[in-house]
Order: sequence, then structure tokens, then C-alpha cells
Amino acid sequence: MRKYDHLFHAYIQGIILIGFALLILGLVITGNIVYYIAPMMMPFIYFAMITFFLLGIVQIFRSTKKDSEHDTSCQCDHDHQIKGPAPVKLLIYSIFILPILFGFIIPDKALDSSIAANRGIQYGSGLGINQASAQTSVKEDGEENSLARAEAFLEDPEAYLSSLEQFSDDYIEEGHNPYELESFYDEDWFNEYYDELAQELSKESIITVTDRNYLDVMTVLDLYLDQFIGKEIEILGFAFRELDFTENQIVVARFSITCCTADAGVYGTLVESEEARHYDEDTWIYVTGTIDRGEYNDFIIPVIKDASITEVDQPDSPYVYPSYY
Amino acid sequence: MNRKNNFFKDLIGLLLLFFFLILFLMSDTLNNNEMLNDIPRAWINVNTIFLSIVIEAIPFILLGVFVSALIQIYVSEDTIQRFLPRNAIVALLPAALLGAILPLCECAIVPVVRRLIKKGMPLSVGVVFLVAAPILNPVVFASTYFAFRSETTNTILYSRMGLAFVLSIIIGGILYSIFKNSNQLRSDVTVHHHHHITNIQKPTFFTRIRDVLHHAVDEFFMMGKYLIIGAFIAALFQTFLDRAILTTIGQNDYSSTAVMMVFAYLLSLCSEADAFVASSFGRQFTDMSLVAFLVYGPMLDLKNTIMLFAFFKSRFVITFMITVTVVVFAAVVILFGFIL
Repeated sequence: MRKYDHLFHAYIQGIILIGFALLILGLVITGNIVYYIAPMMMPFIYFAMITFFLLGIVQIFRSTKKDSEHDTSCQCDHDHQIKGPAPVKLLIYSIFILPILFGFIIPDKALDSSIAANRGIQYGSGLGINQASAQTSVKEDGEENSLARAEAFLEDPEAYLSSLEQFSDDYIEEGHNPYELESFYDEDWFNEYYDELAQELSKESIITVTDRNYLDVMTVLDLYLDQFIGKEIEILGFAFRELDFTENQIVVARFSITCCTADAGVYGTLVESEEARHYDEDTWIYVTGTIDRGEYNDFIIPVIKDASITEVDQPDSPYVYPSYY
Repeated sequence: MNRKNNFFKDLIGLLLLFFFLILFLMSDTLNNNEMLNDIPRAWINVNTIFLSIVIEAIPFILLGVFVSALIQIYVSEDTIQRFLPRNAIVALLPAALLGAILPLCECAIVPVVRRLIKKGMPLSVGVVFLVAAPILNPVVFASTYFAFRSETTNTILYSRMGLAFVLSIIIGGILYSIFKNSNQLRSDVTVHHHHHITNIQKPTFFTRIRDVLHHAVDEFFMMGKYLIIGAFIAALFQTFLDRAILTTIGQNDYSSTAVMMVFAYLLSLCSEADAFVASSFGRQFTDMSLVAFLVYGPMLDLKNTIMLFAFFKSRFVITFMITVTVVVFAAVVILFGFIL
């Protein structure tokens, strides 16, 4: 029987760990990490990246030690060796190497309308329940365009990095999470938030839907639709069509991500316009028009009427996120 | 001969590292590669969701393996024996409470439970941890609260938390009555075998840190492969399963509950985010089926089934799966059919 070669396994494992770290680092540097992970989860991703680098280096050092040392220094049962004949070992390591290769080689792309079709579009905010709080003032958001949002995201990593230590410390040691639960308990506060937002939005001459206020505006339009009929709105998203749509109907939609794309939901607004027929699904479009009350599948939903549509580039951050994070 | 062999091995490693570095430096060019743009969009979506789940779960797996490694190095079997009540049934209640304190999700809990059982913790207590910890934690509480914000009574939130607590004890009890505290871990290593006194001098702080890191890596490579396989299968379902089919199947109370449980199993969502997915179904599904989705998913899903099969004996895992499924379904039906 051949001896289990600790050195070689430690060595290969170390290199795979560094490969994972490089993959995450590459995604962060190119900014393409936004296609995979919600900004709110980024502290954990930085934690993973740094840990991978560290563990990778530790593993490679381990592989330079004398074989006997591991056996005596560690009083553990050796239950975690990679077992099996050589082909099995190769297969096991391939399982780890493949995601790294996929990550580097297959183009990073946002989810598209085929996923939206499978999941079903939520018109407006769905139940009007997915969105709560947000410390960000709406006025500020109103002035922001998607470019500013993108810039804000690029600045985010630093802020996240600084909060990372705090966050994970809390998480591990105290057994607490950093979110303040108490402040969210108040039902009145919830209604007040959207009440206030609705007030502020009514004052605006034109409602600008940004990446940051997307889900909030969807909720407000759901809750207080009557108040906004006849108002101008501008919104950006990808084009989507239901099978039963007429030629002049189109949906402008965004994916909303909480943690990762597995929990993606699709939130869209129905647009009725003569121009709709010119745009293919998955084209990113910028829509301006007037809000009206419409109906789809027996639900009252907001509709953008008399809309003008222009094709735009995909924003740097293709998804939107619940605002209270 | 041996020397040649070593040289060859070094070369493999170096080539792999070199390969990763090249990919890292070229990733921008690769991303804009025309040739790769011909990959069908569906498969790019699979890839996006697959990587998304893997990258998302990795930090939590790492947390899990670190906690497990710390337990391995710092918590002795005697300590565990001392703190646990002698009677396994009596231990179930404190176990559920402890599960509520541990902020570990379903990815992180498996290595921790496995390690604790290896250290001599009763199987039934481990089972309670396994099903209680992913639901009964503050992050999940908060996300469920938000997702079902518009519900003034918070029925879903309290049903989810309440059921998780009660059912974890029931499930622990049932599995205790079947398996007692027999060893159901797959590894043939017996639990109490090493009282060897090879290390006479006390390990220094530095060697302990080193041991923790080494253990963490070993365990990451053990757990990681199952996570990656599970994530891939989940990504396939996420991409190709048309959710409209579910709504047509799930018309009545019982069938929609069953459908949502199957769905929770296949999607393998993180328990921190599943409430948002559930709330997006809200229009078509009853409270009963949504609660079933939210209780069943974190207790049992595709990605942790693969991990369970790797670490526990098949007979145990199958019994565990049947128990959890039956108990959750029955409890939800009783709760929403007769009590609420």
C-alpha cells in the first residue's frame, strides 16, 4: 500500500486555495462580483478571500515540512485525508478546480430574461412587502442617477472592508448579528416610512427610479397608486415580454438580489407604448412616461403609458437590492 | 526514482499555480472573448447561479470549519460529557435553546455537528442542532420579519420560529428512539479511541493555532466538494425549472404544501434569504405552504443532503430525511388546519 503523501496533498490544496482567492480577487477588481453577490454580503466575501490567501500560504508551508511532523504534533484521528485511488483523488481535486476555471473563463454575465420567465415577474412590488426601512433619504436618491450609484458601489468595498472586522467579530464571538432588531418592530414606523416617501415623491415633478430606490418606489406605487396617476416617471431596466402581451406592451424589469442570485426575484413595471415593438428582450431600456392604473391577471398594477423608450447600456450594477441593508 | 517522482509532483503544482495566475491576469480578455460568447445563454445562467451559490456559501463553510477546528483542538471529550445532561431526552431542550444561540446557517452547521458528535455528543442532540440552528437565529428572524412585513399578525414569522423550535425537539426525540446513541458516523474511527499520551509537553499557543488552521483546511476540502456538487445541481434546477408549473400543481392546501417542500429542497436556498423567495410566491400560495417551505428548506435541502450522506451512514440519513419530511408536513397541516 502506498503511503499517504501529506506533503503533496498539502501543496496542491494550498495552490487550489490560492486559486479561489485569486478568483474572488479578480471578480472584485473587475467589479464583476456584482453579478454574483449582493453588496451587503461583501464583508463575508472579503473575509473568505483573505482567509483563502492565508490558508493557502499555510498549506504550502506545511508541504515543506518533514512528513513525520504532522503525525506527532496533532492528536487527531486522520479522518480527513483525501481517500481513494489516484483517479478518485484527481476527480476530487477537479471538483475544486472546475469552479475556479468556470469563474475565470466563462464570461461574467447578469441573469437574463429566460430566468425572469421561469421565475415570473412581480408587477409592482409583488405583495408590497419586500421592502422596509432604509436610512438613506429619498431626496438624495432622487437627485442621483445610476452613474452615481455605480460610483457609490465602487467606493463601497473600502467601507465594507473597514466594517468587516467589526462584523465578523460580532458574528462569531457574541453570537449576535449587527442588525438592530428593535427598531424594525414598530408597524407604524413601517407605514410612516412609505407614507413619507410617497409624500416626497408626490412633490417631485418627475419620479426618478434609481438603482437605490427601485424597490421602495415599486412599493410606494403599489400602496398609493391613486396618488400618482398622471405623474411622470423615468425608470431603467431590461426589457421583458410575457407570452400574452400585445405588440405595444413591454415590461421594464430588474432582478432583486438579497444574498446571491439563487434568491433573485424579478420586479417589473408594465409599459404601454407604440415604441415597445422595436425592443428585444434583454435590451436595457430607459423609459419615461405617465403613470396610470392598469390591470394584469386580475391584479391592479401601475402602468407607464405614452412612454418613450431609448436603448441604453447595461448599468454597472445590473441588480437592485432591498434598501434596508 | 523517488526524486524524479517528487520533481514531477512539484511541477504539477507549479503548473497549476502558473495556470491560475495566467487566468487571473487574462480574465479581462477572456471575458470579452468572442468565441465564448457562443455558449448558450442558459448555460451562462447556470454558471452565474452556480458560482454565485459557491462564492456565497464559502464564507459560511469557512466559519463552520473554523468553529469545528476550534472545537477539535480546544474542547475535549470530557468537557462535552461534563456539560451534557446524562439523559439524552433531557438534553434535547437545552440543545434546541443552544441551537437558537448559535448563529450558524445550514452550510456551517454540518461540520460543527459532525465534529461534536465525533467528540462524543449524543446523536440526538446533534440532530436537534442540525435542524434548529439554521432557522432559530437572529439573522433569519430579521429577514423573515422583513419579507413578510405586510402581514400585520406576523403569523408566518412566529409559525416558522415556533415550529422550528418544537419540531427540532420532536425530530431529535424520534431519532433517539430509533438509533439511541449508536455511532451513525460513516468514518470507521471510533469515538473514544485516543487517550494516547504521545505529547508529553503541552502544545504551545503557536502549534495550536497551526493545528486549527490545518484542521480547517482539511475539513474545507472534505466539505467543499459536496457543497460544490450540490450548488451545481441546485443551479440546474434554478435555471431550468419553470415556476409556473408549481403554481398549477399547488392548487389545494395539501398539494401546495407538498410542492413547496419539494421546491424548498431543490432550491437549496440560504436560510437567510429564503423568506424573500417565499414572499415572492405569496400571491399563489397559502400561508400553510409558505411556512412549510420556510421550515423544511433550512432543515433539509439538496446541498446538505449530499454532505449528510458523506458523513453519516446511509440508513441514518434516509431515516432522518423521512422523519423531517413527515414531521414538518404533519405539523404544518395540524397547525394551520386545526389550531390557527
